Amino acid sequence: MKVSNLSNSTTLLKKIYIAGFGLLGFVLFFYQIINGQYYLERAKNNYVRLLPSRAIRGSIFDRNNEILAYDRAAFNISVIPYQIKNKKVQLFNDLSSVLGYEPAILYKNYNKNLRSLFSPVNIIEDIDKMTALKVKEKFEDSVFINPEPKRFYYQPWESAHVLGYIKEATANYEVLKKYGYSPLERAGFLGIEQYYDAYLQGQDGAISVEVDAKGKIVGFLGNRIPVKGKDIYLTIDSRIQKIASQSMEKKRGAIILMDSNSGEILALYSQPSFNSNYFVEGKNINKFLTNKASPLLNRAIQATYPMGSTFKPILAAAALEEGKLTPEKEYTCSGEFRLGIATFKCMHAHGKQNLHEAIPHSCNIYFYNVGLALGPRLMSKWAKRFGLDSLTGIDLPYERKGLVPSPKWKQKKLKTNWFAGDTLNFSIGQGFINSTPLEVMVAINVFASDGYLVNPHILKRVEGQQGSTPASKTYLGLKDTDLNIIKKTLRDTVKQQSGTAHLLDKLELNISGKTGTAQTKGRPHGWFVGFFPYENKKYTLCVLLENGGSSYAALKVGYKFLNEMKEEGVLKND
Amino acid sequence: MTNLRRLKITLTDRKTITACLIILNLLSLAAIYSSLHQAGEFVGAGLLHKQIIWIAISWLFLIIFSFINYRFYFDLSYVIYGVNLFLLIAVSIFGKTIMGAQRWISIFGITFQPSEFSKLAMIVLLARFFSQPQKNDFLKSFLLPLGLVGLNALVIFKQPDLGTALIIFFLFLAMGLASRVNKLYFVGLVALGLIISPFAINSLQDYQKKRLMVFINPNIDPMGSGYTIIQSKIAIGSGKAIGKGFLAGTQNQFNFLPERHTDFIFTVISEEWGFIGSIFLLLIYWLILKKILQKAKNLVDPFAYFLCIGISVLIFLHVFINIGMTLGILPVVGLPLTFLSYGGTSLVINFILIGIFFNICRQK
Repeated sequence: MKVSNLSNSTTLLKKIYIAGFGLLGFVLFFYQIINGQYYLERAKNNYVRLLPSRAIRGSIFDRNNEILAYDRAAFNISVIPYQIKNKKVQLFNDLSSVLGYEPAILYKNYNKNLRSLFSPVNIIEDIDKMTALKVKEKFEDSVFINPEPKRFYYQPWESAHVLGYIKEATANYEVLKKYGYSPLERAGFLGIEQYYDAYLQGQDGAISVEVDAKGKIVGFLGNRIPVKGKDIYLTIDSRIQKIASQSMEKKRGAIILMDSNSGEILALYSQPSFNSNYFVEGKNINKFLTNKASPLLNRAIQATYPMGSTFKPILAAAALEEGKLTPEKEYTCSGEFRLGIATFKCMHAHGKQNLHEAIPHSCNIYFYNVGLALGPRLMSKWAKRFGLDSLTGIDLPYERKGLVPSPKWKQKKLKTNWFAGDTLNFSIGQGFINSTPLEVMVAINVFASDGYLVNPHILKRVEGQQGSTPASKTYLGLKDTDLNIIKKTLRDTVKQQSGTAHLLDKLELNISGKTGTAQTKGRPHGWFVGFFPYENKKYTLCVLLENGGSSYAALKVGYKFLNEMKEEGVLKND
Repeated sequence: MTNLRRLKITLTDRKTITACLIILNLLSLAAIYSSLHQAGEFVGAGLLHKQIIWIAISWLFLIIFSFINYRFYFDLSYVIYGVNLFLLIAVSIFGKTIMGAQRWISIFGITFQPSEFSKLAMIVLLARFFSQPQKNDFLKSFLLPLGLVGLNALVIFKQPDLGTALIIFFLFLAMGLASRVNKLYFVGLVALGLIISPFAINSLQDYQKKRLMVFINPNIDPMGSGYTIIQSKIAIGSGKAIGKGFLAGTQNQFNFLPERHTDFIFTVISEEWGFIGSIFLLLIYWLILKKILQKAKNLVDPFAYFLCIGISVLIFLHVFINIGMTLGILPVVGLPLTFLSYGGTSLVINFILIGIFFNICRQK
């Protein structure tokens, strides 16, 4: 084939290109030569000024329709830079003397908010309405009152991780603009504010006017009316949320309360916390950003910890299901377990233990034996089936998932073989395994929800949408007999005098649960995961204390939390 | 003797284009520098430095690619297509979660746009298809390339990047019409496109629909998309015959125009250098396109021929659509102005294409 046959298309293309460029040249000629003077006049004397009007963001309510976050009106004093360019110093001085502000603050705000010479720049932010009106009266056309919606949180500390906060999109504009944000538009950061931004944000509007060189409005170009965002209702109970935050005292960690059957999160609190209102204001936030304890980290869903003894019920269920264990099978605990030259210890010498005793006593030696009988592959398989290696799918951004090890994983990641010692560690939730508190809670909740892996969630409903979000859950297919055995041992853990969680029995809430003291660098983490009432499961609770010292500290937090709930009467009555 | 003469001509081709590119680089830097001013103050040193580095990298790529035998891409065309599709899909899957993560690390390192790479992949793939000898094989020389190109365009459209998706479609059309595949197929395709376009418009993103509406009448949304067009027209028009001079464009300096260092860079040049500058710019582009087409005409290898056609069509489409949208005669679809707009990926890809063209020139 010869190209020459084709080459007349180059001639055609040439003609098309000439025609295209010719058209562009013609239009340019029209704009620049014929109408150039007109456009120059427009550029010189007539300026388009945009007066943005921010959309009111949807409010956030809790499950009892108590308000958690809403937009209040903040009154700002603003100026049009072009209009005051020759009298800025005088104006700022007068303004600051009238209001008793340092002029420096005005300049600082001016420089911070300057976007264009022709759109309003806030120089005094968020003052009360009367003062604003007084200023307007005194300075007349030199200043504007620029009311803007401003987010306010009722529980800025207590709900910070659940709700997140609001900020102008500028900071991440490069990323956000693809999704249709404009730079000054407010966007949700972290928490529900980020996750459901699409519902909440609404749409900003603006009035577009033409002004002359003196700043006088000479023409009205258009108006885009802002659209209010949708209100959303959460599954959170703000009273419980508050109690949760108080129960943690000064300790680091997380506390979560969930409806056992539906997966609705009633409270989720992580400590140290931050203050959402501070982030809205952009004030005093450095101490949060630089704090070594990472207050922005939501420990309930973003941090992973070895789950320690809370893994034992899962291991027991797995061994029962696989036929590697019967409830009556006894192992003798002498207080230690020898493997080669290494010795693995137990808290006490428990003597002969069967499953009914081993879980309430949290006997390590018993579970070493069970782990060895089951083997690491099956352990890994069952841990994964309980959701420990996957995201729970909670409707919060940046959820992390934990890790469930396996011989294959170790070979691939660490390039070494799996040793029997790894199996022993795995059996008591130590070693490589780690999980977020929410994952642990959802896994243990399998025993509370008759064998279902629930999908934890926070959104109950959105304004204007019918019905609440349907609960989705996965049936794990465990035998009822096995489930009942584990459930009973978990109840015994609280009920029996010698059970590790006996402290909670005083509450008379028919609690079942499991404690855990997870060894780590530094002080051990303390765990308590449980559910109640025993017969008619309604609530699942998880307490994690990061470097809390022991499970007993976690139990005490759990006790305080539930006791307070009981006294406040916020528990649902049967 | 003829060989010698020919060699001399091809060398001149490359020199001419090199000179054009250097002029465009300088114009681009001047315009970006100017656009990064606000009320007389230079505010974007970081972006300017970045672009200088990108220009250096682009030249490096141009030189490297001018030494790689272009026939190589014939064999690799499917692989290139595959990689390109993989990257696109990866972006569409991770895009959302990355959005979250990037909020944290903000703009960290280099951002790469696979949709730019797509343009190169399309040219190579289509050059291979259309340089095959079959003439009227509906399946092999029309439907198969259409399917591959269509899939690619669809993924890009979903990103959503309407501009690039359209470019790819036009590229297919132009290269196909230049080939010996039955023209009726393409005519039929366009007819089909016209019939289903009302439905396609329905499936556009809200903001894309709005852009189309605003294109028809900018005044319905003088605050949003229409604002840009009005301001862009004022900027260009007010440049008059000789322009306001370097750094003196008020529309630009007073921050009237968003995106003015990227998609709307032409308005900066046009306002500051006027009609003369704008026409000069068009002539530079024309010179590059002319050289590429002239070379194509004399080629023996059909694959090289179609590469040249593809490269020239791609450059033309970008220049025409971009300037057309700043002038308000075409909808704002969000396409960079080749060689001029701020941004790394587009620049590198276009320089690679010129590098490939240079290699074609090198071959005897």
